[in-house]
Amino acid sequence: MRPSWSTPAVPARLATFAVSALLAAACGGARAPAPTLPVPAAPAPLASVAPAPDPLGPRPEPPMPATFLPPAPVVYTATGGITVWLLERHQAPVVSCQMVVPTGAASDPPGKAGLAYVTANMMDEGAGKRGAIDVSRALDDLGAHLDTDANADTTWASLTVLTRHLRGAFSIFGDVVARPRFEAKELARVKDLWSSELLERSKDPDATARVVFRAALFGAGHPYAHPWDGTLRSARAVTLDDVKRFYGAEWRPDRATLVCVGDVTKDALALLLEDAFASWKAPAMPAPPPLVPPAPHGPWPRLVVVDRPDAPQSVIAAVRPGVEASSADLAALWRVNDVIGGSFTSRLNQDLREQRGVTYGAASRYSVSRGPGQVVAWASVVTEKTGEALGAMLGDLHQFASGGLSDDEIARSRSQGRAALVGSYETVQGIASKLGGDAGLGLGPDFEARASRARDEAQRPQLDALAKRFYAPEDAILVVVGPRARIQPMLDKLGLPPAEVRDADGEVVRH
Amino acid sequence: MRPPRIVATAAVGAALVGPLAFARPARADDVNIPFTKTTLPNGMVVIFSEDHAVPQVDVNTAYAVGSRMERERRTGFAHLFEHLMFMGTHRVPTRAFDAWMEQAGGRNNAETGQDMTDYYDLAPPTALPLLLWLEGDRMRDLGHEIDASKLALQRDVVLNERRQSIENQPYGIEELVLPELVWPEGHPYHHPVIGSPADLQAASVADVKQFFDTWYDPANASMVIAGDFDPRAARDLVDKWFGTIPTRGKPVDPPAPASPPPRPGPTSTTSPTSLTSVVRKTVPDDVELAKVTLAWQSPRHFAPGDAELDLVASVLSTGKASRLYESLVYDQKIAQSVEAEQQSQVLGSVFVVTALVRPGIDPARVEKALLEQVAQVRSHAVTDEELERARNAYETAFVERLQGIPARAALLNEYQVEVGDPGYVQRDLDRYRKASPADVLDAARRVLVPDALVVLTIVPRKGGK
Repeated sequence: MRPSWSTPAVPARLATFAVSALLAAACGGARAPAPTLPVPAAPAPLASVAPAPDPLGPRPEPPMPATFLPPAPVVYTATGGITVWLLERHQAPVVSCQMVVPTGAASDPPGKAGLAYVTANMMDEGAGKRGAIDVSRALDDLGAHLDTDANADTTWASLTVLTRHLRGAFSIFGDVVARPRFEAKELARVKDLWSSELLERSKDPDATARVVFRAALFGAGHPYAHPWDGTLRSARAVTLDDVKRFYGAEWRPDRATLVCVGDVTKDALALLLEDAFASWKAPAMPAPPPLVPPAPHGPWPRLVVVDRPDAPQSVIAAVRPGVEASSADLAALWRVNDVIGGSFTSRLNQDLREQRGVTYGAASRYSVSRGPGQVVAWASVVTEKTGEALGAMLGDLHQFASGGLSDDEIARSRSQGRAALVGSYETVQGIASKLGGDAGLGLGPDFEARASRARDEAQRPQLDALAKRFYAPEDAILVVVGPRARIQPMLDKLGLPPAEVRDADGEVVRH
Repeated sequence: MRPPRIVATAAVGAALVGPLAFARPARADDVNIPFTKTTLPNGMVVIFSEDHAVPQVDVNTAYAVGSRMERERRTGFAHLFEHLMFMGTHRVPTRAFDAWMEQAGGRNNAETGQDMTDYYDLAPPTALPLLLWLEGDRMRDLGHEIDASKLALQRDVVLNERRQSIENQPYGIEELVLPELVWPEGHPYHHPVIGSPADLQAASVADVKQFFDTWYDPANASMVIAGDFDPRAARDLVDKWFGTIPTRGKPVDPPAPASPPPRPGPTSTTSPTSLTSVVRKTVPDDVELAKVTLAWQSPRHFAPGDAELDLVASVLSTGKASRLYESLVYDQKIAQSVEAEQQSQVLGSVFVVTALVRPGIDPARVEKALLEQVAQVRSHAVTDEELERARNAYETAFVERLQGIPARAALLNEYQVEVGDPGYVQRDLDRYRKASPADVLDAARRVLVPDALVVLTIVPRKGGK
């Protein structure tokens, strides 16, 4: 159903005739015939203030676009037991592939936070017959992009290359996935860079906030509690044996999905796979099932503060437990989140930015993860308005959770959900990344089309219930990253619980 | 670890994309983005580019105005004005621009640079009339209907943008300091796009009206409609809603300041720069690692040497086998990361080389190592292999980028604004393909001189703040 919007008032169109008549008289000049009869004008308003018809006319009201059902990839099993998802697209001469396995930072052993991340990073630091520099040089010779990375639940290697260089690049991709060298001198070097990255992270307010959200919500020991890129202490603890063992357990062909999107056919891909992966064999021991972390158990509400002396802005946030990716509610949660903080016209952004002017932007997001993840509303606000902004954010969340969505918001979030999905199907690398994420989480090759339909069809009772379940601020963990001495009095005025102080690595600071 | 990459900025344009809607390119050098162009009676340029691969349509509107046109004591005004463009008119109440667009499944954003301001709207095909109506409304009336409260609100938002993206961001200070060091006082690029808080505070409603009347004239605008739409129907709406907007004529683009005479150099290494020495500055910031930045004035966008310096930048810092990465990061282990970039602009560009310094290493040592590598690209031609690698990186980056409708629309408009020809893509790409090692060497010799550059060092603030 179309939402009803009041059309802005358009001034009445009158008296254009009178305007032209007056102009004609005024500009007549010497040779103009003397007016004979008065212009038979109706009793018009004063001509000089009469508006011309608006050339723009009334605002066009577009119909609700049809549900977008993205194409599903063709699925089959290839050499060594690799599952292949192939989506051909031949508009541009480019191919993007992603090999993904269902293990990520949640499987980091105790004290080794960041092991999945550094294992992924080490895969292209020497592979097959090439050392670290030569792997990079060989890819660059072909103008190819290769990335290796991990998140909480998955690890992947991705390749994007022009079709005419696919063969050469795919062979290096095979080396990186199946034949990484893991040399001690390269790990020493990578760990050195990694430690410096973590030092940098501690100075970045947004990165710090992300680390603290996890630590505070999930609590020490939970698989999602530590930062995926580790801490200074854990980075020092990781050894070459850890990396080799982790790689050996997670990277095996019978656990891997290869997503390929773009200018390649099944036959062409079969030859490439044979060349690159024929020697990649799964061990005899059956592959372990993917880890499904449990829901966090509190306690909440709490207030967590990270001191950042002299900062001109504070990061403010409300963090709550989220949903697991396999949940039937995931698709509809997109719309609920869009309304409160997922779009420019979301309630949080309109209030904190467009009404109050205290921030460059306020937003919310939810994680898509194998176990229940997190739901976060956050903004960077000018320091002296930290209290006002946090109070407003909590008020907006409360109103949303208790009052639900408006008719306009229900309609708008549907259009927005469709548009976001269409946008991610523009480029082969965008599609490969989306499908790779789905494969890694076990969501199935038709997930995007199913989710698109479920998202478009969600009705008010479900949407309101999700707003209440995931955005009520009463149970949230509030996080503030800012200059503590200045903001504490403002926080006190809001009647919040006593602050639990944490450092930039998310560790509780003992006094 | 991820090696450094070419960033596909709007400043470099080369596309290896066939006429996507029709056929695949037969050869690697068939590059083309199909379009038609028309000029309305009021001088506004409109470009249509049809492509039905994905059900969405993009409207990209560029105004040939940027921070270099700002008056004295009004730095940051062009960008502040960009924010005001969303504040509505009598037809579109404040906040309705975004509300109506998002209601229809659209989204939008805008970007202000030194030379131009670019707005885009992206939406389902059925929403094209609404997008055009909203753009027509603000091009026609926005400036006349601005008031003090709209101005005050967006000024607060912009001041928060400044805090978030510069003041509270590690190394954000560089964006403020570097332009002032590279360009002389009075030069249009001397101040940063974001402007100074004092100047932003001083901006008045009268300034807004004058700026709108001068720079947001239809004769100073060009619009690209790209994607899944019917050009005939769109043309009718364009004639009706844009063709009727009155014009005061295209504003005069302020000329570049007079070029300094070539500096006398040892041999043929004269450099057209206004810098006359090595300008040094050290700035403390709330960071853990020091950062060294070298910057030279360099040839303007599309001028001889511009593409060659893009290639130099790639040879220096794209990938682990690049000269700076292999030397400073991999072998000597004195830098955490390195980057080289030709930042192309209309009046004159800046060639920038940066390195993050590893903990415990003297920034002076990193500066020396950077300068040694720069001296190498001035003394010896790059190898054929290096050049081929750099070209391939550009080709891939642009094929990747130009699969997307919004990126293609932006590129068509950039070519229109800068060279008056939306179909410039083949000639743009040819600049990279034709560059020889000798051309690259010549550009490096002329520009990357050892005695006229800026050396900016950002160091961790003492006391651990």
